[in-house]
Amino acid sequence: MSEVHVDEKIGTGGLIAQFRSHLKGYGIIWITLALFLLLTVTTGPFFSEANLRNILDQQATLLIAASLATVAMIAGGFDLSISAVFVAAPLLALQVENATGSILLAVVVGVLAGLSVGVLNGVVVAVLKVNSFIGTLATSFMVFGAGYLISNRRILQPESENFRNIARSRWLSLTTATWIAFGVVLATWFLLSRTRFGRHVYATGGNPEAARLAGVRVTGVTIAVFALTGAAAGLAGVVSASRSLSAMPSDDFSFLFGVLSAVVVGGTSIAGGEGGVWRTVFGAFFIAFMINGFNLHQVDPIWQRVIQGAVILAAVSIDAWARRRPAG
Amino acid sequence: MPTIALDDHVLLKGITKQFGSTRAIDSADLTIRRGEVHALIGENGAGKSTLGKILAGVHEPDEGSLTIAGETVRFRSPRQALDRRVTMVAQELALVPTLTALENVYLGIESSKGPVVDDRDHRRRYQRLVEESGIAVDPSSRVGSLSVADQQKVEILRALARNAELIVMDEPTARLTAGEVSNLLQIIRDLSAAGTTVVFVSHFLEQVLEIADRITIMRDGRIVRTSEASTESTGSLVEAMIGRTLEANFPPKQPPAPTVETVLKVTGLGRAGSFEDIDLEVKAGEVVALAGLVGSGRTEVVRSVFGVDPVDSGSIEMLGSILESGTPRKAIDRGMGMIPESRSDQGLMLRRPVRENVSLPRLGLFSRLGMVLKRGEQESVGVATTEVDLRAASLEIPVESLSGGNQQKTMFARWLIERPKLLIADEPTRGVDVGAKRAIYELLAGLAADGMAVLLVSSEIEEVLGLAHRVLVMRGGRIVCEIDGIEATEAEVLEAAFGTSAEEAVGV
Repeated sequence: MSEVHVDEKIGTGGLIAQFRSHLKGYGIIWITLALFLLLTVTTGPFFSEANLRNILDQQATLLIAASLATVAMIAGGFDLSISAVFVAAPLLALQVENATGSILLAVVVGVLAGLSVGVLNGVVVAVLKVNSFIGTLATSFMVFGAGYLISNRRILQPESENFRNIARSRWLSLTTATWIAFGVVLATWFLLSRTRFGRHVYATGGNPEAARLAGVRVTGVTIAVFALTGAAAGLAGVVSASRSLSAMPSDDFSFLFGVLSAVVVGGTSIAGGEGGVWRTVFGAFFIAFMINGFNLHQVDPIWQRVIQGAVILAAVSIDAWARRRPAG
Repeated sequence: MPTIALDDHVLLKGITKQFGSTRAIDSADLTIRRGEVHALIGENGAGKSTLGKILAGVHEPDEGSLTIAGETVRFRSPRQALDRRVTMVAQELALVPTLTALENVYLGIESSKGPVVDDRDHRRRYQRLVEESGIAVDPSSRVGSLSVADQQKVEILRALARNAELIVMDEPTARLTAGEVSNLLQIIRDLSAAGTTVVFVSHFLEQVLEIADRITIMRDGRIVRTSEASTESTGSLVEAMIGRTLEANFPPKQPPAPTVETVLKVTGLGRAGSFEDIDLEVKAGEVVALAGLVGSGRTEVVRSVFGVDPVDSGSIEMLGSILESGTPRKAIDRGMGMIPESRSDQGLMLRRPVRENVSLPRLGLFSRLGMVLKRGEQESVGVATTEVDLRAASLEIPVESLSGGNQQKTMFARWLIERPKLLIADEPTRGVDVGAKRAIYELLAGLAADGMAVLLVSSEIEEVLGLAHRVLVMRGGRIVCEIDGIEATEAEVLEAAFGTSAEEAVGV
């Protein structure tokens, strides 16, 4: 899935250097497969169709948002507003559904709302030159606030039961949520590895000044990646609302943490310029398997958090270690 | 006083250091006497910096022994070297810009009264250091606001505050003006007279000859010879460095036909604080050089021509049509290409493969409906990299694993996929070795001979004289004179650049 990354494999000789570049390149695959095997062997219910289908379904919203968050991160942008959009966009979508009865219109409005926040983020970062971490933190609060305003601080529900079909219809025994996630992942992979835009994303994150001097419209690329991330977060929110048949205003950042964990554990560099959506897929499933395994082994949820945090720390440390170049 | 006159301070025996597949240092034997100024010279990549870094504990040698003041040591870190009173003033200065000079000098070795830092004591000791060494820097100035030369002085004070007896200086004069250089050389002389050993790593041969007691010449990781500076000359050093005599370094110039079209025409260009009233023309097939001192506005002019920085006044015409408010993308679309001053900061995506770095500005040629057709890309990149004689194990390895010369060739290959009408080359041979330099000269001359207009910016006068058909000398943001490139002499260009004639000095 990743011809784009063969470059990372060619090290400069030396066992440690080779090990390092291999770990950097493909460690996440091995460790995810190892965990998969471990859980298959140690627990009965893990390797059952129902459980695996369930994991796929549960990861859907996260993967939708995390795929595009990966693109933003590769371009050097950090989007903290994913949670806010995830919370607020479905509120707007449900208001539209309640008012018009059109589910299609509701989805479109939800996605467009996310896109608009994304464009705002992009302009803040690329034109106003605000650090993306701070800029999107600020817009997060605005959007969380907008969520309360849109919903009048109520839990919203769709008029029509059919709203659940967005996420919960089945096709080839998988939920539509799973298929949507699958589609977004594939589209993102294509975008990053096959298109000119994708190349510009890597260039912008790798060295913005050099990219600009090579004729890349860095401002445009930055706005576009934030816009796409916002749209994806909006879509994820709508899919989530369809699953639960409700949406509720909050200031809850937890969705963002899940998204960023998947991206970072997968191995996309927080420094920008490197990474891939396949990494994020593995990162997401590694974490999902881990949590599933905890539950099957009845690990105390409090300890689950501690261990999850340690895993993220380990992933980032490995990234930092692999980045350290042998002196020369 | 112990005997310090002639005893050996450092003894290196059979030092070998390998980086990946390249042998940076190959069984080097070297003796450094206490209190001498010992120069290490060689081309880029000859191993002189690496040897300096081994001395200072930055790199650990793979083989060989290091004896300092009679004791065999093994440095695993600069810290351990410092324990033996050896330290380094690196090319990239390692100071904290937000702290003051005083704070930087005593960073990590603060004296304190209980938990409180004793600034009084620092000031006292700083004063003594300044008096003893003759190196004066205002202790309370913020290091970030100091000039490079002053920052270097802070580094040296820092070394002295740590009781260093041997200071390795890696290209200390590379970023200094002429006046600052002579200041630094005086400081080095004083240090040496006071008994400090100085290892001076440099490629400025005149400075080396002026300051060094002895000179060690390196080539391809080996030591060619160590000799008394008084027995060497620039010529003998160059010959030993490159292993052959240096002649015919520049390809012959082919003057462009007088009738050819003007590719670039700049009229009255100005940008507040950078340059003003710039008029220049470059014809097809012509190499025009912008010469002048660093800071005279050369780079600023070409950046604005390429649309990187906006201008306040004047106009830029490409092939007769005016370029409105530029961006690099527009400049490229109108037939320009640029090799920027710093390839690592402004030119390359260091961690991306060579292929992607070469094709980036021309990706449109290989794209259908936004999709990159990799086969066409690979072919074109292959042709372009062969043309510049880029040596890489594969086009898929990250650019950062290439040598400086090959990295620069990557930049050139970028503009060979589809040739621009005008190529701007800003310091095209900075940080590349002599062999790659020659290749780049031939490339530039060849491109011009094929009809490309070349606007060259260079700090190396011989490069300007060797390549340019016309030389425009800048000073203080203005073009002060135009000299015919065939007849120009080094003295003429330097005089104009420094503004030595009295009447001009008043004018500016």
